[in-house]
Amino acid sequence: MKGMGKGKCMWMLGCAAAVLSFAGCGNTAKDDVVEIEIVQYKPEAASYFEMVEEEFNKTHDNIHLTIESPNDATTILRTRFIREDYPDIIGIGGDINYSYYVDAGILADLSDYEGLENIKQAYLDIDEALEIVPTEGSYAVPYVANAAGILYNKDIFEEHGWKIPNTWDELLALCDEMEQEGVQPFYFGFKDTWTCLAPWNAMAVDLAPADTAKQVNRGETTFTEEYREVAEKYLELLNYGNNDPFAYNYNDACTAFARGEAAMYTIGSYAIPQILSVNPDMNIDSFVMPASSSTDGNTLNSGIDLQFCVAADCENKEAAYEVLDFLLADENIQKYIDAQIAIPCKEGDFELSSMLDGMLDYIDSGNMTDYQDHYYPSEMAVDAQIQAFLIKKDVDSFLKKFDTDWQRYNRDIIRQVQEYEEKYGNTQ
Amino acid sequence: MKNERKRTFLLITIPILALFVCFNTIPLIRGVIYSFTNFKGFGSFDWVGLRNYMDLFTDSRVGGSYLFTFKLAIVTTIVVNIISLILALALNSKIRAKSFFRGAYFLPNILGALVVGYIFNYFFTYILPAFAKMVGLKSLEGSILSNPDTAWIGVMVVCAWQAIAMNTIIYISGLQTVPEDVYEAGALDGATGWKQFRHLTFPLIIPFFSINMVLCIKNFLMVFDQVMALTKGGPAQSTESISYLIYNNGMSGGQFGFQSANAVVFFIVIVAFSVAQMKISGRKEEQL
Amino acid sequence: MMQKRTSKPSMVLLILGLSTIIFPLYMTVVIAFKQPSEMTNSISGILSLPESWSLDNFREAMRVTDFWNSLRNSLLITVVTVVLSILLHSLMGYAVGRNKGKSKFYKFVYLFIVSGMFVPFAILMMPLAKQTAEMGIANWVGVILLYLVFYMPMNVLLYSGYLVNIPIALEEAARVDGASTWKTYWSIIFPIMKPMHATVAILTALAVWNDVMTPLVIMAGSGENTLPLAQLNFQSQFGTNYNLAFASYLLSLIPILIFYVICQKQILNGVVNGAVK
Repeated sequence: MKGMGKGKCMWMLGCAAAVLSFAGCGNTAKDDVVEIEIVQYKPEAASYFEMVEEEFNKTHDNIHLTIESPNDATTILRTRFIREDYPDIIGIGGDINYSYYVDAGILADLSDYEGLENIKQAYLDIDEALEIVPTEGSYAVPYVANAAGILYNKDIFEEHGWKIPNTWDELLALCDEMEQEGVQPFYFGFKDTWTCLAPWNAMAVDLAPADTAKQVNRGETTFTEEYREVAEKYLELLNYGNNDPFAYNYNDACTAFARGEAAMYTIGSYAIPQILSVNPDMNIDSFVMPASSSTDGNTLNSGIDLQFCVAADCENKEAAYEVLDFLLADENIQKYIDAQIAIPCKEGDFELSSMLDGMLDYIDSGNMTDYQDHYYPSEMAVDAQIQAFLIKKDVDSFLKKFDTDWQRYNRDIIRQVQEYEEKYGNTQ
Repeated sequence: MKNERKRTFLLITIPILALFVCFNTIPLIRGVIYSFTNFKGFGSFDWVGLRNYMDLFTDSRVGGSYLFTFKLAIVTTIVVNIISLILALALNSKIRAKSFFRGAYFLPNILGALVVGYIFNYFFTYILPAFAKMVGLKSLEGSILSNPDTAWIGVMVVCAWQAIAMNTIIYISGLQTVPEDVYEAGALDGATGWKQFRHLTFPLIIPFFSINMVLCIKNFLMVFDQVMALTKGGPAQSTESISYLIYNNGMSGGQFGFQSANAVVFFIVIVAFSVAQMKISGRKEEQL
Repeated sequence: MMQKRTSKPSMVLLILGLSTIIFPLYMTVVIAFKQPSEMTNSISGILSLPESWSLDNFREAMRVTDFWNSLRNSLLITVVTVVLSILLHSLMGYAVGRNKGKSKFYKFVYLFIVSGMFVPFAILMMPLAKQTAEMGIANWVGVILLYLVFYMPMNVLLYSGYLVNIPIALEEAARVDGASTWKTYWSIIFPIMKPMHATVAILTALAVWNDVMTPLVIMAGSGENTLPLAQLNFQSQFGTNYNLAFASYLLSLIPILIFYVICQKQILNGVVNGAVK
């Protein structure tokens, strides 16, 4: 029944396709032109990539490049992977999805790509650390990094003569002072659950070990132990935010900050273009989240915001490398970081935006730590758990749930890591 | 001659049945197969036996989504049916501009749930709190969508706003089957108002009541668009419907296998629910 | 004793109720025409009419959502689905309806297809995403084929139910004249089922036109949108500008509103017909 059904079905499909075929002809490229397709996950950078696409196609006759910047690219990529329809080049962040894709063998080894030599070692290390079990080879070319901490409204600060706080106590004192003078310290847009992660990450890098997740996977510690201080301090921070932060989303919060409704905004540098789109003349600067009680306890929360991977399925790796070369050209990177207020992963003389001034010391000295959430499995929905925690304000039950859920969602990863270590010994 | 007829019927049935099997039965079977794996949606996968099913019963998020979905379905069904009945009675009474009102009241049903959800999202976030501030209603000054205890009400209102239209129209056609002389006879016995409705009208429109119950429960159990547009499952995962959770974690969250198991259980629940409902309403009709 | 005059309580109730329908639509229109600078948080500001009735928001919304393309896709999918549904589902309803009383096979086929009504889309979603891709129809062709299958249970139920009212003697008379079953169907039965065609067309069209899930899962990333899908993408990309967003929502509502105003009577009758059968 089943087999017959399928045969007949194909026949029916054939008929339908024949009738409707007028729409089916998309790929009529000439034989000598190689088609390269990029899907990248930052829709806010769409206009930059449109420019790249145009410039590239103007200067290259042998390769035709298409770049797509869809919304919700993760879902679209997943859906396409389910369909086994892989884009040649994938632009994603350095997060757990990258770990999964490496593990699933979707990405090609790029060790033979020469452009990798010019990438800063720190970022290559971040990618290595993201691999579930250590692998031979490199699977991504880090493109730009972002930095998360606190953005502040320079004009408001100057007007009141406020200084950038360097420790947690200084931050709280500043917030108190702001409230006394009638200025709203923070604006949160926690209706979008992912925004709950921004302050979380920025504080967690100061207060918890960089490889917390890996330590937990090896059974050496628990989140209850490592994250308690983060959770408690987060609740203190919440007191200085707008009323009903769960009613407003990311866009609302960016708009409110841009209109001067709050002096500070705990978010990453990636939000600056959005804020400037509301208020192009705004004077923004940033500083590192001072969650630690001593200045040297703090570190800049910075991770790979965008990196390019080549699909293992890609038939024209050489053409893909040529596209990567073009993307990595100094003038293009400069254009990107100007538009998106990003930090380049490539060595070289780039001019950083003045809006990152407050973080420059950390960037120059390399005192940077990757986002903790880059190790959280997305299906565990840590963002939503943090949101729930911020509403219920129950530190103990939040941390307990964090630990139990972690064990369940990471079961397969933990087992994989253990098997690997039994075989090769602990390589950490 | 007889054979010709038989052959024609078979020639009609088999290709269409094949199409149905191809896009309904086969994917259903594949879904069941995936539910025994830890497939992420890409890469390789292992067989994990019944692990996904065991996990389902201990997963508080799945449990929460069932609770939310059923709470929403039951409350919305009740609200929708009460309001629809009242509206239907009003629309069926002697009023002016009858067809205008009927047309207007059906309007919400033809609009897409997603866009309606977006419009109400704005309404709940900005307009309702502004109103509450003006009249001094403290409890409504925050957005109801931002509170885990009240967000489901927002979803319920949007579902009801659209569903009432359909149910009202069905009740009206039910009321029209009640002959005038029933009321006249009833009036002689002193049955008016609530009594008339309870003892004369309602028993006669029981079949329409059953249709509405079935339609409502089934639609609301599968609620997706409204959740997507209003809350995306939040705040604090309080409004994750089963369909939304399966879509969100299965497609973009890397839980293809686990959510397939969830979907299989959901399927069984829906079938059990529908069968039970038909049996109950069937019995009721017999009694009356 | 019988009330001959207008029922006042009913009128009051209906007019009050109507405001809950009109108000959201009024807000949509007003916000769609306003400029971001006109948006305030005071009640009078929210309710007030826009300062000027400029079409700029609509022009911009049309551009960013690629309105005409999305509209064309939505129309194409809806029209083709409706036409094929009427042709195929009525045939199936005919074959099953005429035989399920006496043949076990057709009884089984009938129950098999109708039971498809209970299969939640959630369980089919992921396998279908894979399957349509394997078949190379992860586009609007696939979406149409899926709709034909999703609405088959309901429509076959409707058609076979309607067929009970059509006496078989009609067909027998034609057969005596030497017409084949196929020919008899198209010349006699198909035209008689016209009221049911209207019902099926309206129910299917409304469901298809407003559906988000199927195109979302099947067509996502293909670069082609339907109208609801365009709204979904729009929301995440341009969420800050509510005026633009509302202009876009309004645009996506207008086609079905026009359709409704023109064929209101047929739609209401068709829907009732389908639900009550």
